Amino acid sequence: MDLDFTVEQSEFREEVRTWLAENAPREARPHTCNGGMREYDLAWQRTQWEGGWAGIAWPKEYGGRGLATLQQLIWYEEYARAGLPAIDSTFVGLNHAGPTLIARASEPQKAFHLPRILRGEDIWCQGFSEPGAGSDLAALSTRAEVDGDYFIITGQKIWTSFAMLADYQELLVRTDRSGSKHHGITWLICDMRTPGIDVRPIETIEGGAEFCECFYNEVRIPRANVVGEQDGGWDVAMSTLSFERGTGYTSSQVRLAQVVEDLIELAKERTGPDGRRAAIADEEIAVRLATARAEVAALRAMTYAGICRNLRSGTPGPEGSMLKLYFAEIAKRVAKLGMEILGDDSVRATSRWDQPFGWSGNYFYSFSTSIGGGTSEIQRNIIGDRVLGLPR
Amino acid sequence: MDLLPSQEQLELPALAAEFFADQMPISLIRERQAEPAAVTREMWAAAAELGLLGVSAAEDIGGLGLGLDDEVLLFREIGRHLVPGPFIASVLGARMAALAGDAGLARKIVAGDAIVGLAQRRSGAELAAAGPLTGQFDLFDAADTDYLLHVAPSGAALVETADAGDVQLVDCIDPGTRLATAAVDGAPVACWVPSEAEPLLLRGLALASAVLVGISQAVTDMSVEHAKNRVQFGRPIGVNQAVKHACVDMAVAAEAALQQTLFGAISLRSGRADAEFQVLAAKVVSGRAAIDNAAQCIQVHGGMGYTAEHNAHLYLKRAHVLDCFFSSSRKSLSALLAAGPAQ
Repeated sequence: MDLDFTVEQSEFREEVRTWLAENAPREARPHTCNGGMREYDLAWQRTQWEGGWAGIAWPKEYGGRGLATLQQLIWYEEYARAGLPAIDSTFVGLNHAGPTLIARASEPQKAFHLPRILRGEDIWCQGFSEPGAGSDLAALSTRAEVDGDYFIITGQKIWTSFAMLADYQELLVRTDRSGSKHHGITWLICDMRTPGIDVRPIETIEGGAEFCECFYNEVRIPRANVVGEQDGGWDVAMSTLSFERGTGYTSSQVRLAQVVEDLIELAKERTGPDGRRAAIADEEIAVRLATARAEVAALRAMTYAGICRNLRSGTPGPEGSMLKLYFAEIAKRVAKLGMEILGDDSVRATSRWDQPFGWSGNYFYSFSTSIGGGTSEIQRNIIGDRVLGLPR
Repeated sequence: MDLLPSQEQLELPALAAEFFADQMPISLIRERQAEPAAVTREMWAAAAELGLLGVSAAEDIGGLGLGLDDEVLLFREIGRHLVPGPFIASVLGARMAALAGDAGLARKIVAGDAIVGLAQRRSGAELAAAGPLTGQFDLFDAADTDYLLHVAPSGAALVETADAGDVQLVDCIDPGTRLATAAVDGAPVACWVPSEAEPLLLRGLALASAVLVGISQAVTDMSVEHAKNRVQFGRPIGVNQAVKHACVDMAVAAEAALQQTLFGAISLRSGRADAEFQVLAAKVVSGRAAIDNAAQCIQVHGGMGYTAEHNAHLYLKRAHVLDCFFSSSRKSLSALLAAGPAQ
């Protein structure tokens, strides 16, 4: 066992650090979807691609670097260390849709879409949840009727982040209602410009408006856009989710360690509850900060172990749910601690995109960590059933 | 970078696990509760024979010459099987003796012929150098030992148990640990290793963390088994999310503790700049995982968990004892916050 990076990996880290210092965008990222976010995010993705940093762990034939997830980890670590903004609009393309296409799509589908994702040409969104199918995703009922070479889609999706910016959507539809609910689901590539799609924003408790619901009124999608088997989309979707819960969260985990360090700095600067000393001198705050430090260290160790397991076995397993669960618990505790350290100032509205960091905005955002991508309760069911073998 | 143990690394811990289950089972704690020492010299010699006291000791003093990560994997089994006896102090004592140039003593400890108990300061000035040891100390598993290990911030000392002075037995919360208090007055230091030469405090914390990890895993496994087998309302209780999710939270805490403890051990072994941070973090998360999981284990077992006959409380009590080894959890937290950020 060792924690040593090889000479090559260390050189890779140096290269990343140098390149980020020279090429990271100088101007702040727009916070709102209609305020130039799409242009900013895609331009930055394009710059990364031109620099050779897009799709570090993606196969070379689709424009990636063909390196291991370890190099991807190094990139995330350096990216967070440089204090660069998390680009959430490209998350689905790079971390769900892309990996799913790599694993399950046909050659023409891969050849068309994967390089476009890496080059910063397309934004993807996820059309999975529905008003009646949240935690019980397989209960989804958005209908797809066959009409020659097309499906005619009618129904509704919800919690679709960045749908108003997206070019494509990974869309789960019901193609067969005769069997079990897990059968008869199909994974489709949906062009968001297709007539009949109506996207409406949903405001969140954080105040952001990237959250959307999508309505489909007789939307015609070519049958050639099926990824995997028709009616076999559940299996395809599950591979996406295990990516999301596996390596997909690495960047958030790495970033959380930085957030804890920032919070410690904040606690040194701010006056604590006694009105005299710094917040960090308060024993309870100190204990909670130190605990957070220990926990993000353990989160990183788990992330490293997960990557090592991945390198040995090839695919992320249900242990990814453990990481996601642990991450969400810590992220929420840290965000709440941020509010308490702010004290009276915690009532001032801020955004997590503010410079300096908006702790109150971050607090409200943190609620999403134990809900999005499968609630913590669902993660606990998955771990209980599949890892611990508890009865259902 | 590889944070997963190799198959080869898991062989010795597996062998040790068999030995513990066979020769030093948990029932031993109850059988020997009235005896002065928690383990017999014969058991100790048998453990030494297997190499369990010298995993990280150099081969020239009879050790296996392996790394701290290997030792951590062994000590996790000690926690899992709740093995009594001063393993941590003895292993550290052998290392100290070797570092202080007393190869003869190091060899005796590794061979199980000399046993080392742990002395933790209760009051009195910290030991600053190799000078004689004075003050009020808590002794852990010092009965029938030859030496006592004391780890101070500036370094670690071995003194002869016979020099400890007035030793009074104290009832310990853990029936598997022998506690005593000693008013030590000028006990000569037989071996002294300054902390600049060797971070024995961190090594002790890493081994205590490993035992705590084993405890956190063992009580998780017990709870999961119980949740699968205990039937109420016509169904195993594990179908209920209140029980299932409690088991999952235990498993996640144990996994986090394991990975951080391995991370800390490798950091220390390889001399990473943030080794102190990583080991302190390991102690914090493993102490919490062991205590919280053992407490939850009692709850999952219901009335049975509240009985002395069940093993759950033995794990909880040992966890509390180990959490105090070398540094209380509060002290570890303060040190962690005072340390620089992780590398």
